[in-house]
Amino acid sequence: MSRWRRSVDELTAGRQRYQKECERAQNALSRVTSCFQQLVASLGSSADSSYLREEIDETRALAHRICSGLSHRLLRLLSACDSAPIAVEDRQASERLWVLFLSVVENFLCELQKAKDLIGQFPLTQRSNRCSLVNTGCTDGLVGLAARVALVQVPWLVLEEEPSPNLTDHIAGLESLLSELQQRVPVAFWSVEATQPAWAEVLSDPDDPDDSLEDIMEVEVVSNSRSRNNMSACCPGKCCRLSCVG
Amino acid sequence: MKWLFVVFIFLESDKNLTGLSLCSLLFQTPYFWPTQQWPVEDTDYAIYLAKRNIRKKGILELHEQEQYNHLHKWMNHKWDFIVMQAKEQYRAAKERKKPDRVVFDCQERAYWVVHRPPPGTVSAMDYGLDRRTDPNADETQTPDCYERIMIFTQQSIMRPRVKSSVSIGALVKYCATYSGHDPFLSKCLPSNPWLTDDSTFWTLNMHNVEIPTKMRVERWTFSFKELLSDPRGRDDFRLFLKKEFSGENLAFWEGCEDLKWGTAVTMREKAEQIYKTFLARGAPRWINIDGKTMEITVKGLKHPHRYVLDAAQTHIYMLMKKDSYGRYLKSPVFKETLKKAICPEEHKFNEVQLEQNARNRRPSLSPIVIRQQEQEQRAKMAANAPVDITQLCRFTTPVPHLAVYSGIPDPPSVTASPSFPFLAHTPVCPSPISVALDSTSASERRLETSEGEGNMEARAPDGGNLSKSRMALSLRRLLKRGCSPSAMFASLSPKCHTAATASSRIQPIMPDEPSHAPPRRIGNFFHIKVDIPPECRIYPIESEDEDEENRPASRDRVGTEEIICPWESLSRQNGTGMSQWEETPGKTQNLLERQYFRSTLGAS
Repeated sequence: MSRWRRSVDELTAGRQRYQKECERAQNALSRVTSCFQQLVASLGSSADSSYLREEIDETRALAHRICSGLSHRLLRLLSACDSAPIAVEDRQASERLWVLFLSVVENFLCELQKAKDLIGQFPLTQRSNRCSLVNTGCTDGLVGLAARVALVQVPWLVLEEEPSPNLTDHIAGLESLLSELQQRVPVAFWSVEATQPAWAEVLSDPDDPDDSLEDIMEVEVVSNSRSRNNMSACCPGKCCRLSCVG
Repeated sequence: MKWLFVVFIFLESDKNLTGLSLCSLLFQTPYFWPTQQWPVEDTDYAIYLAKRNIRKKGILELHEQEQYNHLHKWMNHKWDFIVMQAKEQYRAAKERKKPDRVVFDCQERAYWVVHRPPPGTVSAMDYGLDRRTDPNADETQTPDCYERIMIFTQQSIMRPRVKSSVSIGALVKYCATYSGHDPFLSKCLPSNPWLTDDSTFWTLNMHNVEIPTKMRVERWTFSFKELLSDPRGRDDFRLFLKKEFSGENLAFWEGCEDLKWGTAVTMREKAEQIYKTFLARGAPRWINIDGKTMEITVKGLKHPHRYVLDAAQTHIYMLMKKDSYGRYLKSPVFKETLKKAICPEEHKFNEVQLEQNARNRRPSLSPIVIRQQEQEQRAKMAANAPVDITQLCRFTTPVPHLAVYSGIPDPPSVTASPSFPFLAHTPVCPSPISVALDSTSASERRLETSEGEGNMEARAPDGGNLSKSRMALSLRRLLKRGCSPSAMFASLSPKCHTAATASSRIQPIMPDEPSHAPPRRIGNFFHIKVDIPPECRIYPIESEDEDEENRPASRDRVGTEEIICPWESLSRQNGTGMSQWEETPGKTQNLLERQYFRSTLGAS
């Protein structure tokens, strides 16, 4: 009996370790995808360059590795749920993780498709193509992002080395992965609840507030105020006005 | 909309942002372009709101807060992901250089302002309906396509053309007429509310205002359409017509408009109501339209649809336009209105007053309220609707043998001449119609009886087929006047002299002589037969020929009882013979051109 008990405890502990690993991987995946989004947002702008494209590829490859590893592990985790007796909280945690993973994958898939469209619209194969890039006023500030991506650590990064696919295959692969995952594991989305209440993230980030940015980014909704006032020529004070036209 | 301008106006003294120079025009990064037509996901919006929440420490705009709560509720299962992603994106954005970060944040904000507009703003992404086909797409060259091209070119050839000088002349005339009334081109008295925020102009020009402005009254003189389309003008015109006892025309026209623009459910009843009130024999407000139109209308009313009364309505419209409108403009009613019309003084607001006006802006009366008021008014008017034709005729006494008047009189002396209508109206006992028409055309009648000449007066019909036949002209006038033909024909046809002089009264035909009744289906309005049920109090000019077989039945039914609509009765309407006056069936007539006139009459 005690042996069984011990094995169950070991199993539970192992399980929880496993779960923690997956959660860390999930965080990493979030980080990678958000960096990816920032990079993709610069595609086609004046900050676009071959360096950017390379960075995008690398980030994508990293995300792919994390994705595939995480999907396997989560599958194992959830299928193990069915076989062994597990506490309700554990099961709920796994299911939540599952749902979050699927959300991330969906989001990432959208970003990939946008990236594909943009790369198709703004090819950088020749030097003349640089003329078609849109001037957004952004200079090359993506080194920091690249560094951030490089800092991401995944538990199994060293263990598994797969060749990273090109963009189209990646998209196709992700789509099939999504549909497969949704079919194989019957997890009810609505049963998962958020761990934190609404508005909680406000208190979470104690970073420097960037107040000056806010003044700049005040958007005057043109319909409410009279458009005459918006177009007044020079603003004497220290505030800056931003008006959207067009 | 490929891009959004994002115009920055920076102060150079802001040390943090010296990277961006003053007033540079920047474009949005293609990632945020609406033309990409990528789906705008709520998930992304939730992430954006969470990010903004972090940045602004919980101080979001009201609609953003609502959206946030809404999304938190509906995306609760992935809320952890959303928050995590928001945090990560926030931190990732921090890795960029500050000017770039500002730019990106502004662009993202602009993107979401477009795709999730704040309430009360016009959505920038609104656009109309998609067309069924894309006009820029290459059309496949199928036989169907060629057929359509052929039809199109054939129709282009057949289209009527106008010389450009004529059309330009019309445009010039229009501009010259209306330029003084255009608020863009000339001053708007007292002041243009859009410019000065003072709504006096609108209050002075409301629908049911007592005293109109001079400009408004002047516009009524431009064209009949202007008069009718202005509610106040229409009221004035209605008053005038009431005085002339021809208000039924306008009422009929309005009824037709109501039918045309009303809901489909009410159409059938409206059509019936209009028929009973205006078109049927013995109708309380009978209108005077010619036989052909009446025939078409009644035939159409068997299967009523929205435009069934169109022919009659056009007829009446042209009648009012050619006849009543001119008289209205010379009438005392109009002159009175013109005299009383006000000409407001121009406002001269200074800056302070303008600002005050802007602050005191109030919403106007809700259109729902206005519509309700209009409906109430209409109901009130309908309740007090005048019965235009009074019951003064002495033929109201129920004398059965006087009931029927055939269009073809017996006396042989008259058979040689074309049959002319004996009408129930005589100078002895004029119906209000004839009174109305007579009062204004008395002079003309005098003129014509004295001269007997077929001179065209100013109010000759605008038809194209006017021959100068005196007979024709007088018959037209006859119909309009409703006066006895006697005086007319006395001067015109010696053959009818005897009959004419003797027939200062109506010649009654015994009802037991149906053999002389003309064949049924006679659309010719000159061949007038009047069938008057004894109890009926009105003697309209009847151009339709409800024949004898109908008569006994109708006499029992029609009268004090409900007027039977032709599609309800079991009458057999198809005639066999045709009189010499009738048009060849199947030939479509241009009613406007031949409204008063039949060229065939010239033959006799």
